[in-house]
Amino acid sequence: MSTAETRTQAGAGAAAAGQLRRMPGLVPVTETLRTVERRAPEPLTRDADEDAGEGTGGFTGGDAAGGLRIGAFWRLLGSELALTFRRPRNMALLAVLGVVPVILGIGLRLASSTAGDGEMGGVVQNLAGNSLMLTFLSFSFLVLLLMPVAVSVVAGDAIAGEAGGGTLRYLLAAPAGRGRLLAVKYLNAVVFGYAVTAVVAVTALLTGLALFPGGSVTLLSGTTITVGEGLLRILLAVGYVGAAMAALAAVALALSTFTEVAIGAIAGTLVLLVVCQVVRAVPALAPVTPYLLPTRFTDFDGVLRDPVDYAALRDGLLSFAAYIALFGSIAWARFSGKDITS
Amino acid sequence: MRRGTFVRWGVPIAAAAVIGAAIGAGPVIAAVSGEPTLPERSAEQLLADAAAATVKDQGMRPMSGTVQQTASLGLPALPATGGDTGPLSLLSGTHEVKVWYGGENKIRVAMPTHLNETNLIYNGDQSWYWDSAANTATRLRIKADTGERPGLPTPQPTDMTPQQAAQRLLAQVDEHTAVRVINNAEVAGRPVYQLVLAPKAGASLVQEVRIALDGETYMPLQVQLYAKGSAEPAYQVGFTQVTFTPPAPENFTFTPPAGAKVKEATIGEENIGQKAEERAEHAADMAGKAKMVGDGWTTVAVVPFSLSDLQAQAAGKDGQAGQDGRGTQANALLDSVLKSATPVNGTWGSGKLIRTKLLTALLTDDGRLLAGAVTPEELVRVAGTQ
Amino acid sequence: MTPVTVTGTTQEAGAPFGAAPPAGDSSAAIVTRGLTKRFRGGQVAVDALDLTVPRGSVYGFLGPNGSGKTTTIRMLLGLITPTAGTYDVLGLPPARALPRVGALVEGPAFYPYLSGEANLMRFDAADPSARRATARRRIADALDRVGLSAAAGKRYRNYSLGMRQRLAIAAALLGPRELLILDEPTNGLDPQGTREVRALVKEIAADGTTVFVSSHLLAEIEQMCTHAAIMRSGRLVVQGTIGSLSAGRVPLIRVETPDVAEAARVLGELGLSGVQAGAGELTAELGGQRPEMINAALVGQEVAVRGLAVVRPSLEDVFVGLTGEGFDVDG
Repeated sequence: MSTAETRTQAGAGAAAAGQLRRMPGLVPVTETLRTVERRAPEPLTRDADEDAGEGTGGFTGGDAAGGLRIGAFWRLLGSELALTFRRPRNMALLAVLGVVPVILGIGLRLASSTAGDGEMGGVVQNLAGNSLMLTFLSFSFLVLLLMPVAVSVVAGDAIAGEAGGGTLRYLLAAPAGRGRLLAVKYLNAVVFGYAVTAVVAVTALLTGLALFPGGSVTLLSGTTITVGEGLLRILLAVGYVGAAMAALAAVALALSTFTEVAIGAIAGTLVLLVVCQVVRAVPALAPVTPYLLPTRFTDFDGVLRDPVDYAALRDGLLSFAAYIALFGSIAWARFSGKDITS
Repeated sequence: MRRGTFVRWGVPIAAAAVIGAAIGAGPVIAAVSGEPTLPERSAEQLLADAAAATVKDQGMRPMSGTVQQTASLGLPALPATGGDTGPLSLLSGTHEVKVWYGGENKIRVAMPTHLNETNLIYNGDQSWYWDSAANTATRLRIKADTGERPGLPTPQPTDMTPQQAAQRLLAQVDEHTAVRVINNAEVAGRPVYQLVLAPKAGASLVQEVRIALDGETYMPLQVQLYAKGSAEPAYQVGFTQVTFTPPAPENFTFTPPAGAKVKEATIGEENIGQKAEERAEHAADMAGKAKMVGDGWTTVAVVPFSLSDLQAQAAGKDGQAGQDGRGTQANALLDSVLKSATPVNGTWGSGKLIRTKLLTALLTDDGRLLAGAVTPEELVRVAGTQ
Repeated sequence: MTPVTVTGTTQEAGAPFGAAPPAGDSSAAIVTRGLTKRFRGGQVAVDALDLTVPRGSVYGFLGPNGSGKTTTIRMLLGLITPTAGTYDVLGLPPARALPRVGALVEGPAFYPYLSGEANLMRFDAADPSARRATARRRIADALDRVGLSAAAGKRYRNYSLGMRQRLAIAAALLGPRELLILDEPTNGLDPQGTREVRALVKEIAADGTTVFVSSHLLAEIEQMCTHAAIMRSGRLVVQGTIGSLSAGRVPLIRVETPDVAEAARVLGELGLSGVQAGAGELTAELGGQRPEMINAALVGQEVAVRGLAVVRPSLEDVFVGLTGEGFDVDG
């Protein structure tokens, strides 16, 4: 709070405290209590309270224990996660994302059993021989729209939703602390992003194993690897796609600090995403595309090459980090100075 | 309060500045420092050194890297139909291939696209072409008795590697060209010499051609083609990342994966695909009828040409090769090119003029096609002299 | 407004709640100096506010709707950044004081899909100084205090307006608070609920907690508070103890008696000025006299005293006297 910096303190020697000044009759405002004597505030400690009261325990001083502060941070994050993962809307989003790979797998299974040789695209043919491929196929199918929708619903709702419901003022008065609350909200969105990614990966993996024969995995480069190594590469892809969702969450969170209408922040994020896709489709705007966030979303296929295209993955992760830094700091700058009037 | 606001918003602004600096760091630092990173060389010295280095290393050093090709030829926008891999798509936008070179007879070129990869692996007597989209591995045999050293086969037009592009352009250095050397440029993070070839003829559309040779290995790392009046290269092919360490041997071995279709093809005897054969025949046919006018940078090709034939051909191709969309793409390109053409006329008759940044073409109504990297005025002049 | 009968002196006004401020803390629970908030449209919501809320007081913050009460409270809670001015809460910068402050701002706001208990758990988690280990007990205590224990497991969505208000007060009571800031705590409550809230406030204040309560209802403040401040259009009109606020208006003694003339003479002898006689009653300015002595004097002179009362002007009278206009309740 910037007011704290400009706050003037009574001298430490002004010790004659404790007496209420009486108001002799009506006191016009201009003369009100300018001369009230005050003590310099002392560091806040709760030890007395805790020693004295069995009923008032449970609170500790702000400076008392750093460990407690960290503990309190995790407690708030836990509360946030519980709120997110118990909310029916969010669970419905996860369920939808879990069903899509199953549908995709069944569709491909039916297609591959009816279609003859040569009629199928390469990926589908690939799939016929290796169950793990469905995971990557599901990612490439979902990563550009459906997964971002789920993530922006949670991240866009983070601040705007609380503001719209009025709970933001109580959280801040609790006091959650603005930086702390923002950090918790962002981490929560990141966890949800990884949950979305993991749900897609796991259901796709299980569907793939159930519908397509297991065995070795053929990479895009034509090299064959073992199932174990394939699982490792799925893990890599999950890490990458999750990071992509984290970058998107930063954008949605930043938008979320600018409005009190959650749907506005969510829609704003999705509109940005669609605009990026349109820009990518226009050849004349090709020089811009490497800097657009969605351009990097599909680069997880670097793990399917031999050798693994770490350069592409690294570039993607760096660009995600840049987006997180930029939009995270925008969110912070906006939120830390925002007047909460809702 | 105001001060606090400024300080707060300073953070994202600083973040944006840092990110911007990180993106633009390479070129900016190079431009700002500007100091020659390499000793000065004349063009002649440079080429001699390059030749010497090549001899010493017995050809190219083992290396691997990413080659990026960017074309902005000023063609009318292509309808985005035919996927990323069509050859026509190389005429616009940016494309990347990865190259591994393990010595004279060990080469791998990969063209990665989304969830897809095309590979060409050449390892002594064994060569494979792998297309993950088609799930097809093609075993290539190079006909032994052609008597010529097998060229570098690449999945895409053969001038994709900077080495070949550089060689081709160097061959044209003669009295038509002004040559100079820049010694403070950088490509793929490495200091390079840039050999700058500028046409002397005013009628040429080419401003200059820049060939970047690695300062240490003298390997060509980049070729840039600048059109007159544009600051960005109209065509550029070069390494965006390169390392001169021998790549892992696994890169040069290939075993067709289980479930993949395996084909056999022999280069030199019969072509890989019928289409390529047709195309080659067609090109040879055209070459026979073509006539070159002028010399050096302002050479103009004059070919007998009928627009209706071409349209019919494109339509036929469309019907026959609709599967990969290439015919459709060619047709669409033709349409959009013709739409952008401007009618011209003169004492020689009348025709349609098509201009791009680097190339001008004139379709005359009396059945000739004139094309060259020259100004429209020059082309019209040539048309008049016929 | 009905006149308030005061039996004590102004000095004693704060006594029932006058627990000594906790040792080691400054005497004022809230001090603002020149606190100003100008919103982005140029509208000045709060203009150079100098408030001093003594420790242990029940401080009524009065003003019509739109007079800047809520904006002030939001600034005190760190929700709005002041344009100018400084303020301390509990002698500390607000950010550090907030764990010791319970607040109800502009009505209750909770997560509709959570139960009352889960909602309190959520806000308790947001307080970094609250311990998880004691959360359940503290939540149960707070719910018990506002009489919501039976509805603890019910979803907030299904709470009535009164229950919601109580839950908000419970949230403000989750920890040991030294200052309770209640913005319109009786809003939307039925008369019974209003009485309960009033009783609760008195009970909390009796424990030594300073209560800062805003309202647009003068009567409510008069009944609950030891101190009051009146806001109008963003400016502080007056502040002080309830007694002192009225003291500016001279208190009157009103005597009901059939012997009006005789009573008037006695009062005159006692030195009271401004004696006015009416039908069956007369009033005079009380001055420094003690009502019981006046009564004794009247009875001693055999005046039949049917009723005797000290009449203080109501806060509304004060307000009208200060501003020359009525207290527009509807803002």
